[in-house]
Amino acid sequence: MRAVSVAAPRGFDLSQLARTWELLLLLTARDVKLRYEGTILGFLWTLAKPLLLALVFSFALSKVLRIDVGDAPYVLFLLSALFPWTWFQSSVQFSAGSFSNNAALLKKVYFPRFVLPFSAITSQLIHFLLSIPILALLLLAADFSPGPEWLLGVPLLMAIQLLMLAGAVLLVASFNVFLRDLEHLVEVLMLLWLYLTPILYPLSLVKERIGSVIYLNPMASLIQAWRDLFLYDQLPGVDIWPALLFAGIALVAGSIAFKTLEGQFEVAL
Amino acid sequence: MKSPYNGQEVITLDNVSKRYYLYPQRVRELKKAILHLPTFLKDSRARQPFWALRDVSLTVRRGESVGIIGPNGAGKSTLLRIVSRLAPLTKGKLTVRGRVSPLLELGAGFHPQISGRENAVLNAVLLGLSHKEAQEKLPEIVEFSELGNFIDQPMRTYSSGMYVRLGFAVAVHVRPEILLVDEVLAVGDAEFQRKCFDHIEKLRQEQVTIVLVTHDLESVKRFCDRAVLLNHGVIAVEGEPQEVVDEYLSSHFEFSAGPTDGGDS
Repeated sequence: MRAVSVAAPRGFDLSQLARTWELLLLLTARDVKLRYEGTILGFLWTLAKPLLLALVFSFALSKVLRIDVGDAPYVLFLLSALFPWTWFQSSVQFSAGSFSNNAALLKKVYFPRFVLPFSAITSQLIHFLLSIPILALLLLAADFSPGPEWLLGVPLLMAIQLLMLAGAVLLVASFNVFLRDLEHLVEVLMLLWLYLTPILYPLSLVKERIGSVIYLNPMASLIQAWRDLFLYDQLPGVDIWPALLFAGIALVAGSIAFKTLEGQFEVAL
Repeated sequence: MKSPYNGQEVITLDNVSKRYYLYPQRVRELKKAILHLPTFLKDSRARQPFWALRDVSLTVRRGESVGIIGPNGAGKSTLLRIVSRLAPLTKGKLTVRGRVSPLLELGAGFHPQISGRENAVLNAVLLGLSHKEAQEKLPEIVEFSELGNFIDQPMRTYSSGMYVRLGFAVAVHVRPEILLVDEVLAVGDAEFQRKCFDHIEKLRQEQVTIVLVTHDLESVKRFCDRAVLLNHGVIAVEGEPQEVVDEYLSSHFEFSAGPTDGGDS
């Protein structure tokens, strides 16, 4: 016999759902604001990091190693994958400590706790959304004009990446309460993951050598889809199925981990 | 249980038990866990179960105020934590109808880098208000906190007194349906305590259900319609505040003479 029923005072759980949503928005707004608090260049810093990274990589990989990426300039080829990747990577990294760093709050007030790691996703999403116009301008300058396909493709890929992230951050943030090492481990793993994903190089390059094994990387097909959309205005096709599958797996695993471990937060935090 | 309150049952605990484990030493570092693996595994198995609450059944009706008293380690705070959903229960069943708000979790989640105003809104939503309600209450909260122009300054510029004032202002304006109060008297100066008690009294007149955990037996007699004496995780006596307090006091010598079981959990 183990049950907790908490009946809502009036009208279903709808008010609770609305409040959770508001909490998520408020935390997101706070995160975004905090990021730029006291900086003169503000939002430019968010752009500067991937842009600088792109310059370094483009020198090393297109000038020195001469990777063939087709007709697009290497910087654009890179950025079209690096921006969505940055959203993924920084969300996972920032969310890792979202339970363990908020122990005081979690031990005192009950609220739907998943909003904490989720707010890392949404605040990073804002940065990603703001970087899309920059990318569009750069593409325009290079005669790779963005097409109307973006209007459908961007929300679609965003939704898939959101689901994947939701599962991933629940998993990482929940386990990090019990093993704080995870925070550091995630940072290293993310760097490795960056190199293992077709971001710096085209998917076709690895597919020639290792075949479909590349699709075991949950981000491979998704990143490729982002690139095809941004560079060539191609809407995602059936090739997207590995990303969908992994998003589902992440979501299930993350929810189970969170549900199971949440009960132990009070003693572990 | 005779009670003048025949209203809806808002809190029902049905044979609720809560088990904690006491570990000789908790290892939460991968390095230590691996380096001392044999000890780590042995320690994990050497955990001692500790029942903070055992088969506690309690019903609180709307508008009632109930005082929970008992010696340290009796399970008073655990009981509140279970009702506020901060601690999952091990066995039994809990039903809570209505919005539960803890009083005096002052400034939980305040962020030093953003303004008092923004913190107040976020804090109010965390405590259970909708964003709209929080915005509506904001002028009152600012007024009550007496912070003046400081309200738009980042909270890192606040003195600790200002910090507490804003936290309290928010707590006061979050109208709960069920108010949980844990040890009001442990915090703040006399003036602050008086303000707290005025607030509790006001809520009580507004028919807010109150569960009060305290060592201050006078306040139980003053505020509560009913008192519950907890001892070693079990309800020892339940009834009229005066009777329960007397019972506690008369048996208190027994408790203090015997062995005590650690801190309040």
